Amino acid sequence: MKNMERSSRILYGLSRSRRVFLADLGMGFTGLALGAMLHRDAQAGDAGWAPPNGLPHFPPKAKSVIWLFMNGGLSHLESFDPKPMVTKYAGKTIGETPFASVQDSKKLAIERLIVPDANGNQRNTLYPLQVSFKKHGQSGIEVSDWFPHIASNVDRIALVRSMWTTDSNHGAQTQFHSGRNMLDGEFPTLGAWVHYGLGSLNDNLPQFISIGAREVWNRKDGHYLGPAHDAVPLRIDPKSPLDFGQPERPFSTEAQSVGRTLIRELNALRGVEYPADPVLAARVASYELAFRMQQSVPEVLDYSKESEATKKLYGLDLPHCREFGGQLLAARRLVERGVRFIQIQHGGVGAGAWDAHSGLKENHSKLALAVDQPIGALLADLDQHGLLKETLVVFATEFGRTPGSQNSDGRDHHIFGFSVWMAGGGLKAGVVNGATDEIGFHAAENRHYVTDIHATILHQLGLDSRKLEIPGRKRLEIDHGKPIYELIA
Amino acid sequence: LVLVAPLAELRAQEPDYLKNIKPLLRERCYSCHGGLKQKKGLRLDTAAAIFKGSSDGPVLERGNPSQSRIIERVTATDPEQRMPPEHEGEPLTAAQVKLLSDWIAAGALAPPEEKGESDPKDHWAFRACIRPAVPHTGNVAWLRNPIDAFILNGHAQHGLTAQSEAPREVLLRRLYLDLIGVPPTAEEIDRVQNEHSDDWYERTAEGLLDDPRYGERWARHWMDIWRYSDWYGLGEELRNSQKHIWHWRDWIIQSLNADTPYDEMVRLMLAADELCPNDLEKLRATGYLARNYYLFNRNQWLEETVEHVSKGFLGLTINCAKCHDHKYDPIRQSEFYQMRAFFEPYHVRLDMLPGEADLSRDGIPCVFDGLPEAPTYRFIRGQENQPDKSATILPRPPDFLAGKGFEIRPVSFPAAAYQPERRSWVLESHLSRARNRLQSAEAAVPKARKALTAALRQEADILDALGAGKAGSAGATISRTEAKTAVEFGHAALDVAEAALAFGKADLISIECRAQAMKASWAATECNGADLALDEAMRESTVAAVKAERGALLAKSRLTLAETQQRLTKAAEDKKDAMAKEVRDARTALEKASQTAQAPVKDTDTYTLLAGAKWTATRFLNSTADDPPVTFPPLSTGRRTALAKWITDRQNPLTARVAVNHIWTRHFGTPLVPTLFDFGRKGMPPVNPELLDWLAAEFIDSGWSMKHLHRLIVASATYRMSSSLAGSEANAARDPDNVYLWRRNPIRLEAEVVRDSLLSLAGVLDPTMWGPPVPPDQQSDSRRRSLYFFHSNNERNLFLTTFDGAGVRECYRRDQSIVPQQALALTNSKLALDSTGLIARRLSDETRADDRTFVRRAMIEMLGIEASPAEISACLMALQTWRQQDPGGKGEAAGAHLVWALLNHNDFVTLR
Repeated sequence: MKNMERSSRILYGLSRSRRVFLADLGMGFTGLALGAMLHRDAQAGDAGWAPPNGLPHFPPKAKSVIWLFMNGGLSHLESFDPKPMVTKYAGKTIGETPFASVQDSKKLAIERLIVPDANGNQRNTLYPLQVSFKKHGQSGIEVSDWFPHIASNVDRIALVRSMWTTDSNHGAQTQFHSGRNMLDGEFPTLGAWVHYGLGSLNDNLPQFISIGAREVWNRKDGHYLGPAHDAVPLRIDPKSPLDFGQPERPFSTEAQSVGRTLIRELNALRGVEYPADPVLAARVASYELAFRMQQSVPEVLDYSKESEATKKLYGLDLPHCREFGGQLLAARRLVERGVRFIQIQHGGVGAGAWDAHSGLKENHSKLALAVDQPIGALLADLDQHGLLKETLVVFATEFGRTPGSQNSDGRDHHIFGFSVWMAGGGLKAGVVNGATDEIGFHAAENRHYVTDIHATILHQLGLDSRKLEIPGRKRLEIDHGKPIYELIA
Repeated sequence: LVLVAPLAELRAQEPDYLKNIKPLLRERCYSCHGGLKQKKGLRLDTAAAIFKGSSDGPVLERGNPSQSRIIERVTATDPEQRMPPEHEGEPLTAAQVKLLSDWIAAGALAPPEEKGESDPKDHWAFRACIRPAVPHTGNVAWLRNPIDAFILNGHAQHGLTAQSEAPREVLLRRLYLDLIGVPPTAEEIDRVQNEHSDDWYERTAEGLLDDPRYGERWARHWMDIWRYSDWYGLGEELRNSQKHIWHWRDWIIQSLNADTPYDEMVRLMLAADELCPNDLEKLRATGYLARNYYLFNRNQWLEETVEHVSKGFLGLTINCAKCHDHKYDPIRQSEFYQMRAFFEPYHVRLDMLPGEADLSRDGIPCVFDGLPEAPTYRFIRGQENQPDKSATILPRPPDFLAGKGFEIRPVSFPAAAYQPERRSWVLESHLSRARNRLQSAEAAVPKARKALTAALRQEADILDALGAGKAGSAGATISRTEAKTAVEFGHAALDVAEAALAFGKADLISIECRAQAMKASWAATECNGADLALDEAMRESTVAAVKAERGALLAKSRLTLAETQQRLTKAAEDKKDAMAKEVRDARTALEKASQTAQAPVKDTDTYTLLAGAKWTATRFLNSTADDPPVTFPPLSTGRRTALAKWITDRQNPLTARVAVNHIWTRHFGTPLVPTLFDFGRKGMPPVNPELLDWLAAEFIDSGWSMKHLHRLIVASATYRMSSSLAGSEANAARDPDNVYLWRRNPIRLEAEVVRDSLLSLAGVLDPTMWGPPVPPDQQSDSRRRSLYFFHSNNERNLFLTTFDGAGVRECYRRDQSIVPQQALALTNSKLALDSTGLIARRLSDETRADDRTFVRRAMIEMLGIEASPAEISACLMALQTWRQQDPGGKGEAAGAHLVWALLNHNDFVTLR
């Protein structure tokens, strides 16, 4: 009976500590996912488990994350990981070079492919680098000529050149967000975990925001944490930034305001017959927040108070930068206002814009032109506003591209070694971790699976992912990853 | 004193067995050294057992961790030696090792008389379900039926008093929303409020259970559990589920309305193709399995099937045994694959329905054992690429539940099941489709001719005008070249129309001849060569069919040529070369078809059978090409029938308990067993096990009648309680979380009910039942019930998703979140704002502009609230203010605003 009582207490959830928690948060965003959390409690058979209280587990270095994701697979060989040997042996098969051992079948066995097709295969004939590299900054880190603005910020960056993943098809996009291969099912993304774990910094804005078109297999975040932990999609359009963000039929503000007062009054009156109803209280608070969001979000996207110089910095005057630049400026403004996690997808259509199976030079140089200046601007601008030290910027992609050629002038998907970088948020700057082999095939030194990036970010936010676990939802060791301590300042 | 304090502190730091050691061992060691398994004879689930050691001797020396084998093994660096072993668990952390060592060093103290883990087979859910006696306790006046006796028993044991019955208007709304998913109409509320007899409640419930909308409401619950999903893929490419899977949804609705027994529904979903192979109505049920189709990966497909058959019907997490033996339940890894073997042979096909020969437009998705010989292997550590081929795994339920005499008998089919083309309507459907095509082809020719004539006349007119020297005058709308082109196009289009007509004729002949030949062949086969005349007829009709099909191919090639020539005519200059090549290719194809048509028919030549069903192709081998076709065999393995019968056997301890718990959860908002899909040892025990067992037994004895269970539940006093906390301070102090149901728990309404209620109150809910789902781009204007909306992994309606609409991969319980996006959806969406106007107009028509009545009607209809004077005056005040804001208006807007406020009231989305 004792045991039953314990489990029942957890089941029905509204234990004392929970009520205190809700009160402490002032019914903030996290508190409002109340119903979802009650339900979550029902899964909680384990003794000693408690839902997150919205506070970090240890003192954090970073408060916010800006997550930039290049959909389709950016070539590490033409961006952040120069490999002259690829050019030197261009036209030869890998087997004919001194690096033949990279294709050892044991080393290739990490692959777990969900959709086998004509892509995601071994490409044997080395294809020369399509762009030259130069050393930049104090650190002297080499960056390709397609990314001059990121290059000029290279001393703000912590670069990881030794990433690997397992899905040789674009399911790797989902994998980079959740840490799991799609063959295993669907799992919460990093942003959802952060949203689940941490309380709000600003009660007028959603805490987890998604910008840019998302791939069909990567549209949601919460999964088993529930839809309350999905990112809120934001459009860079002050007139219609949120779903249902403004009345979809004419409705005067004055009339709405009278209505809101009445709603508040009627809900309070119901409290006589239904006293001490926490759900009623949560719903009332959710209406207040919705109303504040409705007012605050358009203001975030009103760039009229930004200086011309800032707008120019982000490339808002250039047709090829305008879209992405506008999104990144929004990101900076959201961070300024205390939004926790901003997830921005670049090229999230079809398989992903960066998917250069052919015509890599044209594809990558053009896309780089669209993202490079805004990203450089974001880093400099955050720094200038004093925000970079507590904002972690992540630049990632699902996989790299093969050293060998595909369709004569392209590269195929490559999971065995690729590059991502982070900046700010208490990380070291102007440093490189890990390396691939001479032809950029395998991550060779300090190999990192995608969840090492997650672990590093969580660590900087003061979260221990093991403490976020939900009983009944088994997480694997690899899901947690390991923080890349070498990059932590 | 100074000395004592640190000692006490030291003492306090020693690990406590119950607090620190036992939980650690339970989490990391029990699955192999506890009740479930005793590897090497070692149990670690009591201190006494630990001291006893393994078959190799003691594992622990009190006071001496370094001499204790348990410490040696958990710290071993050699993966062969380490505990837990590699692939079974991560090594213990340094802190955990220290805890264990410190405990041993301090003498390994533990309380006496500790109870070890019981035999897993003795777990409550694995024991036979025996109907318990109904308890006799307490307040007999409160009791309405046996459910209440069990609940009352709990109240008595915990000093609780049942909350009073909810007011009539609340009960009415509760019954409507719970049973049919829309609120009562004004007339229905009036009728009930004027009822004087006490049985209004039972009669209302009975009426609602007979209402066809009951099937729609409860189908959506079962669709959650059974993972209903419309098809999804990339573009038009089908990747998951099936096109036309909605037939399964309709089958669920119809079965529920007919009160088809639950066990029968389960059997049909798993094996209708074996149980009633020619009953298309029932074959729809196998959509349950067809839904798991996954174009690219058989392994994932079957894993999902095993996982959710086990979770949904049995409350077992057999999926946890995919890579290793189950850590909590007595399920070996191989038993996961035993379950998989039931499904190993099955594939999916689309069966033709009467009246529609085009399977892309309609057809019944159903399953068949296409690969009866496919072996099942255990995957080493669950890895698909590491099958253990040393032994083929045979289908069988987990041993601890299988019982004696589990038997599988192959099923042999009547011809029409594996040759669905024999079904009476199939040939006729093909013929009428060909006739229809011919008809439209016939209609197209005069149209094309007319267009050509017009073009010719226009050209002639222009030439005349030129001749008369009027060229370039204001009257001429097109140039001479343009007119000439129009004529060219007209000729090309007429050529195409005529070729299409010729093809239409040839195709009809081809289908007629093939239908004839098929019938002749069936007749001949039936006599088994005994009737020579029939054999001869078969031969002759075969020759005719082959010829006719060749004729149709020839006509088709002519049509293709005409079409390519037409495209060439219309092609831009830079595309002409490419098009010219296509024309050459078409001509070559035509020549070949013409040669074939003239060749004599050989004995070995065959014609294409007219199909009555189509295998849904898979691409397991290469994602760009279909796998070799899977044909329909005359025998089925009988595996799924055997599984279905075992699941629905009344001796199965899990099935009825799991089903009853699902139903209870939807009525009460909280389950009896909180872990709906896990009744195993890792799950949570029922709060009221006797009630669960009684309900399960009652369910089975009623012939698995779901309506019987609904009737019983809604009739109970337990169901009729108020959800209010008012005046229940004593209850709330004793049982703050309402574990023992001393009041009703309010429920946040499901997404579908929120939307359907809005439309219903507005008087515009479209009552049309059945049929293909409303596609995403038509949903914003649709007024159909929400369960008819296209709903897949990729395409989910935004409004419904906002209110926690079902996920399609797994949804054993809906979320009931409270997030601001819901507030935005109800304050701002077109759906909400359109409805407010409609609701207000209807109410004001009915109340003839009396504000007070308007307010009262609005509150009772929308919220189930009999408005209090304070509520009425608040509303009247607001109405007045709105009218002042809009002095010129007719006051209609004020009513709409009031309705808007009420639909944003907490109680609109709450089932009180």
